[in-house]
Amino acid sequence: MSINKKIRIHFALVILLAIVSGIIAYPKTVKFFPLLYDKVSEPQINLGLDLQGGLRLEYKADLSGIEEDKRQEALQATQDVIERRVNAFGVGEPLVQTARSGGEQRVTVELPGIENIEEAKDTIKETPFLEFKEEKTEEEIEAEMKKMEEIFAPMNEETKNKAQEILEKVKAGENFEELAKEHSADPGSKESGGDLGFVKKGVFVPKFDEILFETEIANGEIYPDLVETDFGWHIIKKIDEKGEGEEREVHAKHILFSKRTPQLTPDLKYKSTDLTGKNLESADVVFMDQGLSQPQVQLNFDKEGSDLFAEITKENIGKTIAIYLDNQIVSAPTVQNEITNGEAVITGNFTTEEAKNLKRKLNEGALPVPITLVSEQSVGASLGKMSLEKSLKAGAYGLILVAIFMIFYYRLLGFVSAIALLIYAAMMVSVFKLSGTLSAWPITLTLSGIAGFILSLGMAVDANILIFERIKEEIKNGRSLDGAIHEGFLRAWPSIRDGNYSTIITSMILIWIGTGFIKGFAIILVIGVLLSMFTAIVLVKTILQFISGDWLNKRIWLIIRKNNK
Amino acid sequence: MIDIIGKRKYTYVFSGILLVLSLVFLSVWGLNLGIDFRGGTLMEVRFQESIPAEETEETTSFTPPTRQEIENKLSDLEIKSLSVQESEDNKAILKYISSDENLNREVLGKLKEFDGEIKQLRVDFIGSSVSNQLKKSAILALLTAVVGIALYIAWAFRKISFPIPSWQYGVGAILALAHDLIIVLGVFSALGKFLDVEIGIPFVAALLTILGYSVNDTIVVYDRVRENILSSDAKENFENITNKSLNETMARSINTSLTVIVVLLAIIIFGGATIEFFALTLLVGVVSGTYSSIFVASALLVSNYNYKLKKIN
Repeated sequence: MSINKKIRIHFALVILLAIVSGIIAYPKTVKFFPLLYDKVSEPQINLGLDLQGGLRLEYKADLSGIEEDKRQEALQATQDVIERRVNAFGVGEPLVQTARSGGEQRVTVELPGIENIEEAKDTIKETPFLEFKEEKTEEEIEAEMKKMEEIFAPMNEETKNKAQEILEKVKAGENFEELAKEHSADPGSKESGGDLGFVKKGVFVPKFDEILFETEIANGEIYPDLVETDFGWHIIKKIDEKGEGEEREVHAKHILFSKRTPQLTPDLKYKSTDLTGKNLESADVVFMDQGLSQPQVQLNFDKEGSDLFAEITKENIGKTIAIYLDNQIVSAPTVQNEITNGEAVITGNFTTEEAKNLKRKLNEGALPVPITLVSEQSVGASLGKMSLEKSLKAGAYGLILVAIFMIFYYRLLGFVSAIALLIYAAMMVSVFKLSGTLSAWPITLTLSGIAGFILSLGMAVDANILIFERIKEEIKNGRSLDGAIHEGFLRAWPSIRDGNYSTIITSMILIWIGTGFIKGFAIILVIGVLLSMFTAIVLVKTILQFISGDWLNKRIWLIIRKNNK
Repeated sequence: MIDIIGKRKYTYVFSGILLVLSLVFLSVWGLNLGIDFRGGTLMEVRFQESIPAEETEETTSFTPPTRQEIENKLSDLEIKSLSVQESEDNKAILKYISSDENLNREVLGKLKEFDGEIKQLRVDFIGSSVSNQLKKSAILALLTAVVGIALYIAWAFRKISFPIPSWQYGVGAILALAHDLIIVLGVFSALGKFLDVEIGIPFVAALLTILGYSVNDTIVVYDRVRENILSSDAKENFENITNKSLNETMARSINTSLTVIVVLLAIIIFGGATIEFFALTLLVGVVSGTYSSIFVASALLVSNYNYKLKKIN
């Protein structure tokens, strides 16, 4: 193969490389060709938390309360719990890791794409609180009810007075419908001005019916007193009636002022016991009869929990025990008999999904290791986006300025290196995009990484500057263009190599001590240095060899000032 | 040809002044350590965006609290070394020493009293255990880098032993490095004193990058010296060879630095607040590195050589 042919093949390969990396870096160039466009726009740059917004939380796990040989297990369990918790949060791809660091055990949580920092943090930090509650005695409940009534009494008095006041207004001729709209507590009829339509006897509560059907009120008249029912106080206006006997229907309107009455809520019915999530070892989903029946959730208590549970069950046979998560009642199974083996099953009408959810929730309630936050880096998504835009802008300007400088100073050589720089940038972006799909080490681009990338743009041309200075020197020394190019590359190589080694050495150290910011910067810088050596030497040399020839030899001013000889 | 080596006295004086100033700054003011090394919190918040005037007849448009108001509001939390910085778009940056996240919660709670809609744009919290660790690894990294670079230089110049032994190139390069690092530290000591610029992990990353970069520059010059020694006849004097090498590599040194300076300026101007001081550190280091590789590193070789020569004679 002749040298010329070889050069042409190499040049064709350079063009191919430029086109491929250009398309991958900026898929919009092939938008007209949807099949290819879809394919190449698939890989995306993996943006760091500081650019897409997100949380990075580092917790210290306190393992001091756990036996030596169980620590790893406890840590793993903690990681699992946190993982489940952040997965439930449903953002991006959360990452939970444990690592030893500085003699401490750390758990790091990364949550990408967060807009509201505080809210997200609460969700992670929130430890579901598991409690077992037993029924109060009848006397206790009664006492509670009484207490509630006492609290409600003055409030109800006030409502009644208000009702009376409105009644007077209605009687004085004010618009019933408007007052109903304004004051009625009956959501069903409020908007229609209190209109209840035609109804037969028996639809409403007895007291209400009594007024409508057994009291003589003329159509269009208002019943002169407040009518008290379980709901509260009503002002009633009869509109019309039709039918006879059993078929009699009355059309009325009312304004309701609702009354507060104590109700037997779970909170009122149950009282706390000493048994909480701290006593839970694990929860599992089990199936009675080998999976043919309903799923149940089985709880396993520790020693103390077993004793407590035995005691509680013994005292509450035939009654219910309420299981609370985060102060919400999840289930209230009835105790059949005393349970002493530290195991409890929650039977409910669970679907498998529900049972699994409950199991998950219960396991979360029992975080095996206490954790404290030791460091946090959170960036709201909007700020991240702004950082990304700004830094990309800085990169674009940097690229343009360097290209202008090179073309201005080195003329045609500079133009070639500017082209190479563009290819370099496209290749870097392609590497960022493809690292996730083609290799096991996806590169995460952080703000510091972009800084490293931009810096590498400036450093990438360093090799070219070294080479070009050499080429100019050789031309001045009277060499032919081809010879000068050859010598220039040959002689500049040791300097390029030595200089870049030193950058790689420091970058490796940075990666090694690596916290987030430093690592992001150094990794990109190393990749940049390696790739830029390739573009500055191989690509530029190929292009120069291709364009070098008689035509250029006669126009040497494209490379160097003539009178410089 | 410019006689750089012959005028080395002036550059020594100039560098000497810079070094002494830097060392004085450092010993008087020290470095203004940021939360990375001190432990603490940086919280950037935005109060609700002001309501456009045409939408509200009355003057309900929201004015964000001033620095003083924020400080007063937070005063009963007794926060250590609190600094508040207002910026455009109703934003404020708070920095303070904190040992746990509860304080951050309380601070946000207090700020919510100004504006319930307040948004946290950024929270950086470094606990003291982490900051101590970062400090250690930063020092370790710097030391390792210096040793690594020194070994590398000694290796790179192992082949030439004339007219000065190869390790002396290494010493020259390291002295030039130390020169650059001290000046960068001095500049940031002053910036820390007057502009409250803080030193964090990015600063260390920048320092290490400067290490690599400055050495790169020096190596290119030394490489040329090496090449010229090998190609010159034995009679040519070392001083002249060095000066010639400097002149030959001058355009390259300056151009390379210019391209890097250009991109760093692009970062400083357009890149946003988060990385501007990182880029500024690099900028100071690159300028100093270029200067030292041209005017200091090679001059040191010659001074040392002449000193030896005098001793022999």
